[in-house]
Amino acid sequence: MVIEILRDAFLSFFVAVGFALLFETPRRALPVAGFLGGMGHCLRYALLQSGYGLVSATLCGAVAIGLAGIVFAHRINHPPVVFTIPACITMIPGLYAYRTMLASIKVYSAGSGSDTSAVIQEMIYNFILTSSLLLCLAVGICIAALLFRKKSVKDIRKIKDILK
Amino acid sequence: MEEISANKFVKTILEIGSVLMESGAHCDRINRNLQRVADKAGFDLEIMLSYTAISVTATDKYNPLHAATALRRVKNHSAHFGIITEISILTWQYAEGAINFHRFVEKIESVSSPPRHPAWIIRLSVGLACACLCLLAGGDLIDGSFTFIASLTGLIVRQFLVKQNFNLMIAILCSSFITTIISGLDALTSIGRSPETAVATSVLFLIPGVPLINSIIDLVKGYYPTAISRGVFGGFILLCIALGMFIGMTLIGIDNF
Repeated sequence: MVIEILRDAFLSFFVAVGFALLFETPRRALPVAGFLGGMGHCLRYALLQSGYGLVSATLCGAVAIGLAGIVFAHRINHPPVVFTIPACITMIPGLYAYRTMLASIKVYSAGSGSDTSAVIQEMIYNFILTSSLLLCLAVGICIAALLFRKKSVKDIRKIKDILK
Repeated sequence: MEEISANKFVKTILEIGSVLMESGAHCDRINRNLQRVADKAGFDLEIMLSYTAISVTATDKYNPLHAATALRRVKNHSAHFGIITEISILTWQYAEGAINFHRFVEKIESVSSPPRHPAWIIRLSVGLACACLCLLAGGDLIDGSFTFIASLTGLIVRQFLVKQNFNLMIAILCSSFITTIISGLDALTSIGRSPETAVATSVLFLIPGVPLINSIIDLVKGYYPTAISRGVFGGFILLCIALGMFIGMTLIGIDNF
């Protein structure tokens, strides 16, 4: 179990670094993006293994990435989005998004005479799942602004700043 | 306090705003960066952000007759987080008084064409990222290697087509088609343990992650017009990817996706 979680973290490290390079994240923030991606994804994996749902596990992973991002933003003096977005991309619901689109293409290819209700059901299910997962990722990225009533992460230096 | 003409100030603000919008910053970030500069320079700033153009009006705080309004088109949308970082650091430096306005404008102009990572490092690590996603989805090493080659080729195709000034959607459709053909060879020959993961994960490098996530962030922060535009842009890219995959899979003859 522990080995599987570590393998998950190791693999998602490279996923996050790869997407960070694609988005031209500065070199100093690359290891941070990889670390956060590995941390968030392995947290999600651990929660999924212990019986949580996909959406709630993703929300936990994304919020963990967002909170850890505040700490790292001060440490390396970069805005947090440049490494939290690549880190969250490791959990992006790409597969479900494609299934939504492929199901909508299937509605056409199945023809009007046949039973399309199963295809439409699949399309709507995948659409709802995709948008819920995206919402979770976005909430994780802007968690600082949502919880702490501060305009910029720069105003949150110590724990006591949060309460002001 | 140095004297700044309203025209010059508005031009700088539009430069910063459009560069940020082009490099994939969400609207709240653009707004904060611009307001920070305006507060320091002594202007009241009203900003209208849309996905394809930015309009601002700046009024001098001490002399309301001294004002300017201008509009600027946002040309193309990509993701470049290096620019976002540089501009964030520069605006903070200016707001905290470390550099004066003249120096700030000079630095902003040089940010617009920043250094990029070496092209081959990006391609190889994107291939590696998709291979890792394939392993995470339950594929074995053979599926992973197919995914690596497919994503690498797909990214090269997309970069080539975008460079030749083809429409972005055509570039994405062709790239997704070729990626699916290559990863579909795995399914055709059944070498790997679960070839369908290779087909599903090899196209993930095309996913419009930045527009989709930014769309939801804008929705949360209350910038509805840009939220809708970004969502439509991301959704249309997804449709093009799915269309490319569909053509590729029909050609190869996989239908149990």
